[in-house]
Amino acid sequence: MPKINLSGVEKNYGGNAANAVADLDLEIGDGEFMCLLGPSGCGKTTTLRMIAGLENLSAGEITVGPRVVDSIAQGVFVPPEKRQMGLVFQSYALWPHLTIERNIDFGLRLRNMPPSDREARVTSVMKTLGIEKYRARYPSQLSGGQQQRVALARMLAVNPEVLLLDEPLSNLDAALRLEMRAELKRLHQEFKTTIVFVTHDQWEAMTLATTIAVMSDGRLQQVGTPNDIYDRPANLFVARFVGNPPINIVELGQENSVLSQNANRFLSPHGGELGAASAIALRPEAIRIARQGDDVPAGVLSGGAQVTGILPTGGSWIIELTCGAEKLFLITHQPPDAEVGEAITYWAKPKALHVFDAAGNRLDAADRLLRPERKLNS
Amino acid sequence: MTLEQGATGLDRPARGRLHRLRYRLKIILREPTTIIGVLAAALFAYLIIVPILSLLVDAVQVQFGDERRIKQDVGAFTSYYLERVFSSRISHDMFWEPLRNTLTVAFGAIVLSMLVGGTLAWLLSRSDMFGRRWFATALIVPYMLPAWTFALAWTTLFKNRTVGGQSGWMESLGFTPPDWLSYGQVPVIIILALHYSPFVILLFGNALRRFDSQLEDSARILGASRLTVTRKIILPLMRPALMSAMVLIFAKCLGEFGVPYVLGLPVDFDVLATSLYRNIASRQSGVGAVLAGAIMLIGIITITIDARLMKEARRFVTVGSKGSMNRLSPLGLWRMPATLFAALMFLFSVGLPIATLFLSTVMKVPAQFTFDNFTLDYWIGTDLKTVALTTGILLSPELWNAAWNSLTIVGTASIVSGLLGLLVGYVVARTPVRPLATFLRQVTFLPYLVPGIAFATAYLSLFAVPRGPIPALYGTTLILVLALIADQMPYASRAGISAMMQLGKEPEEAAQVAGAGWLRRMMLIVVPIQKGSLTTGILLPFISGIKGLSLFVVLAVPSTDVLTTYSLRLVDYNYTQAANAVVLIIAALAYFGALLGQKLTRTNLAEGLGS
Repeated sequence: MPKINLSGVEKNYGGNAANAVADLDLEIGDGEFMCLLGPSGCGKTTTLRMIAGLENLSAGEITVGPRVVDSIAQGVFVPPEKRQMGLVFQSYALWPHLTIERNIDFGLRLRNMPPSDREARVTSVMKTLGIEKYRARYPSQLSGGQQQRVALARMLAVNPEVLLLDEPLSNLDAALRLEMRAELKRLHQEFKTTIVFVTHDQWEAMTLATTIAVMSDGRLQQVGTPNDIYDRPANLFVARFVGNPPINIVELGQENSVLSQNANRFLSPHGGELGAASAIALRPEAIRIARQGDDVPAGVLSGGAQVTGILPTGGSWIIELTCGAEKLFLITHQPPDAEVGEAITYWAKPKALHVFDAAGNRLDAADRLLRPERKLNS
Repeated sequence: MTLEQGATGLDRPARGRLHRLRYRLKIILREPTTIIGVLAAALFAYLIIVPILSLLVDAVQVQFGDERRIKQDVGAFTSYYLERVFSSRISHDMFWEPLRNTLTVAFGAIVLSMLVGGTLAWLLSRSDMFGRRWFATALIVPYMLPAWTFALAWTTLFKNRTVGGQSGWMESLGFTPPDWLSYGQVPVIIILALHYSPFVILLFGNALRRFDSQLEDSARILGASRLTVTRKIILPLMRPALMSAMVLIFAKCLGEFGVPYVLGLPVDFDVLATSLYRNIASRQSGVGAVLAGAIMLIGIITITIDARLMKEARRFVTVGSKGSMNRLSPLGLWRMPATLFAALMFLFSVGLPIATLFLSTVMKVPAQFTFDNFTLDYWIGTDLKTVALTTGILLSPELWNAAWNSLTIVGTASIVSGLLGLLVGYVVARTPVRPLATFLRQVTFLPYLVPGIAFATAYLSLFAVPRGPIPALYGTTLILVLALIADQMPYASRAGISAMMQLGKEPEEAAQVAGAGWLRRMMLIVVPIQKGSLTTGILLPFISGIKGLSLFVVLAVPSTDVLTTYSLRLVDYNYTQAANAVVLIIAALAYFGALLGQKLTRTNLAEGLGS
């Protein structure tokens, strides 16, 4: 299975529009399950389509294994039909005039496979995905989930070296999506295919990917394992985008902000080293509360607040705290030990803090200081 | 060292540009899409733009045969024709009076069809009138019939002694209708209004149906009366649809030839189209070119206004969600009279003309309803005591010849334009060269701006004489086929473009990723998926081509007669029954063609009938 390499890739659609993708360097390893994650319009689908060859480049180069498939400098462009990849579209793009069997069979015919082998291959892929009983039906006679399986089967049938998936689960309902997610993960383990998966759903990315590439405004924000992305967001955008309920962000140095003052008080002993700090962020699950009379551990970030809302989500509780004019959200999996209206103290361990500089980038100095026990990724 | 650096420093951007260019060329030429697009663009430039340019040049060049009168050589620049049309002694009769007539007829038809069509549209879409489903189809039928069907029916009924030949029914019954009722402005207006009110029913009715009742409800809840709601909410929102219907009717009236020709001739009532025809018939090609140019200009202005209105209309789109379920207004006591009104309109616009025409073909003496007066001679008789056409129409070889011509000419043109339309749609949707897509879209739309008769004149101007390797095509079937293809391209390319846009890129891209090259994708994916819209794209132009007259009347010669020109010739020679019979055949072809199309594609073709 090949490695895909994008270097200096850029895409603009002409005119004065901003680049859909700008200066993208990304390496997708052999057998990796790579998720391109980002809000809509961030360029993730464009990136996927450029890998497939459905969009040409405005600058840069793409290689698949040893082969240059797309390069401005070398004037090379390998058309999609010669790239030997599989692509599952968001809309599935099943051919409405062909039966399910013919849909799946299509690529095999193009590869001039003998009929008996074709038959066997189609049957086996259909079995894997549990759609063999729809063989003679037309796409319009299937439900969304079934169509999605057919779209996947159609691509798996030709055993592509690279499988590209463009938000394939977004049109499914929640239960089906979960089921298909498990199936995709199983297929990845079974076929060992390199998969590039585009999604705007962080939950999907977290559960499926071996590596996540977060994009925004056509630019790559961070590449890393799901844990990396969650535990060490490289900038404020990634911090905000990943995590639900969203991360709490406190800007430092705000005169009339209680939260800001609390954070400043906590950071001031490290003044010199953290001089560049401009904002801190706290995951909702990192925040604890202490009722009046309870002990607050020493050396933590803390401050007074009032409980202004408790939202049960079944199994966990989201608690809204109000400090002055600002709000903090925390999530707990224990029944909350406080009541609405109660004045409490919130606190968080230093290692749960994410510190960012004025440009919004993660401050590594803060990690060395606050999370000494963690090994830093190179 | 420094020298070398300087050299590469200069070189790099230049080389970068070269690579970029090479890459782009590779992308563009990778697939035949762009090459096909370029070829199609060249074809349409020749079939559409060149004839129009040639026509415009004719208007300011001395034409063959006019050398002595203008005292200049053929081909020299002259303003003679312009002066002749706009400011000479005959310009009143040739241009200004026909222009005035065209405008009054158009506005008359607009007002009348708005009143009738608007009322019917509301009754059909928003009231609880009886039989709405049936009427919804039945009231569209007039539009499927050739407009001059009504003109012939009208003369059959109201012809008076001003004109020779077989008398009208009224006259036979002892009542002589006055000229103003028999010919000219009044009947032309009434007939065009009847013919185009389906336009209003469709456009206005659709807008009414799509109208979200919640908008109405909100106003009612805030205390507005029904009248206020209509005045302040519904009508303003409907304005774009109404205006658009008006503009389209105007554009259609502008090019309307058959009706004013049949009904205007006896009282010298000329509109621009008939004036143009007269000049062409008397070989005044220079003057004809000026007149055609004038018609074209008015057409272009009108459609430009329409485009503006449509742009505005988009701002008004009221998205039909669940709320767009429209409630029907109970008519109460008016339910029966309203139904009667709709029935009466159907009777006037379909029943009566068809029945009249049919009866006229089976009766010896008009309007004498005795048993011995009925005959099938005009259909299947032999040895009739007439000068020519001594057999019934069905036994006349001319009819079958004309029918064959109609089917082959219109059939070929429709199939070719349908395929070209799909191809244009494909190129427009796919080519990476955007200017090419824009050019194709606009050039194929151009004939829409040019009324058929003016377009035919343009063809005459270009193809009447040999030009370069192309021999003179006048008098051949080829010129008719080519003109018809060009004339149908607006509909065909619009159908193709919208079909390709609706299909989206993805099914094709899926095949591409699966490893299918261009030809395979076309044969296995694109064409099979577009089968339905291709059928429509062929059938619609076929139906409108079968009943079309204005294009053929300029370009056809007796040997290339089609059904419509044949029946017009019969009208000219006063073979009333035969002419009526032919028109009935055309009407039947158009109607059943539309019906068949509806069956095949399971859509309402009437909504797409555009010419």
